[in-house]
Amino acid sequence: MWRKRLSDRKHIILLVSLVLASFALMTFDIRRSQTPTFFETTLMWVVSPVQNLITHSIDALGNALDNYVLVTEVSNENEKLRKEIDKLIHQNNELTEQLRQKGRISDLMEYQQKRRLKSIVATVIGRDSTQWARVVFIDKGTQDGIRENLAVVTHAGVVGHVIQAGVNTSKVMLIADGRSAMDTLFGDDRIAGIVVGTGMEFCEMKYVPITADVNVGDQILSSGLGGIYPKGLVVGTVISITKATQGLFQEITIAPSADFGRLEEVLVLLS
Amino acid sequence: MIVLFFIVVFILLFALQTSLISYFSVGGVTLDLALILSVYCGVLLRGDRGIWVGFSIGLFQDCLSGGLLGVNTLSKSIIGFTFSRLKDKLMVEGFVPISVILFVASFFDGLVYYLALTTLLKAQIPFSFLFNTLPMYAMVNALVGPIMFFFLNWSAKRILRKFPLLEGTSQ
Repeated sequence: MWRKRLSDRKHIILLVSLVLASFALMTFDIRRSQTPTFFETTLMWVVSPVQNLITHSIDALGNALDNYVLVTEVSNENEKLRKEIDKLIHQNNELTEQLRQKGRISDLMEYQQKRRLKSIVATVIGRDSTQWARVVFIDKGTQDGIRENLAVVTHAGVVGHVIQAGVNTSKVMLIADGRSAMDTLFGDDRIAGIVVGTGMEFCEMKYVPITADVNVGDQILSSGLGGIYPKGLVVGTVISITKATQGLFQEITIAPSADFGRLEEVLVLLS
Repeated sequence: MIVLFFIVVFILLFALQTSLISYFSVGGVTLDLALILSVYCGVLLRGDRGIWVGFSIGLFQDCLSGGLLGVNTLSKSIIGFTFSRLKDKLMVEGFVPISVILFVASFFDGLVYYLALTTLLKAQIPFSFLFNTLPMYAMVNALVGPIMFFFLNWSAKRILRKFPLLEGTSQ
């Protein structure tokens, strides 16, 4: 009887200890600076090569599968030619992928030159390990000049900002994350508002007065306030507007310009 | 030996979770391998081991996430603890019981995250998250999780046959 009680008490103490340890971690995380802990840096360093390998393998496999459909028709006609074509297609895959990558990078470089921004191109190597945070990992870190609070963009628009910079990899919080908020304005009317993430696909624009003339399709730009995003970057487009009968502000839903589902290369703005 | 084995499993699991799994998104949610492994270990490991594995998985997940450090440690520890304590009272064989367990665990996991973010960080997560995204997430884990359970069982049997030194870790 007393053994069972002792065991029950031991389990309760264990549960309370784990809960306290978790809350201690949360408190530490809220109060600390944004520099990753030693444990986080080590873990990112260990996991990132495997992430890299898997990401590149998926890309290679995807290209191979796409092209294999083309190969099968030819193979039916001539077995000997098929082998030759397989070989050529393999080379073609590599070249096509290189071309695509160069195309994407040149888009970014063009954007960089047009805006005269000092920046660095980074590859997205992974996504957040949980469902809820909209965060991606990039393959550049402090040794490449990355630090916290740098804006991350693509040629299409704003992606997010660096929240943690490790030595070789960094974490970028997307503007769709529930904790993200940025000062913005409408491209035409210059009415200001705050674009906040919802944790889902779309963002919301807050604090736009009910009297403001806003239309679906209006473009939203960064205002330059807040110290992270330079002025004039494209953030997104208005896709829906709800005007409540009572209330001071409109409810505006924004579709981000950057396609977060297809992020491969991004530009980190160093200045 | 067992610690090394779990570290290798964790690294592979998180590398998959943060790269390959994100390609298979259903309605904006993806399978949570870490959660399924926490439940699996809670239910099938002997003694309190499931609790410690849950705690470690949560900590790993927090370190590889941009979210609030400690949230997953909390939810996965409680999940590991709960199923570790209830395993003798639960039926954990067959598709339906495993699905139900995973649905409840997933819902709890998402709820902890929602509460932590909205209360501690004042994040702007819409209330509809609880009625749309969270049930969808729980449903995806509940439907695909049992397959992973069967795969883990099968792998564990094969590994134990090859490495009898690991025997004694599972029930």
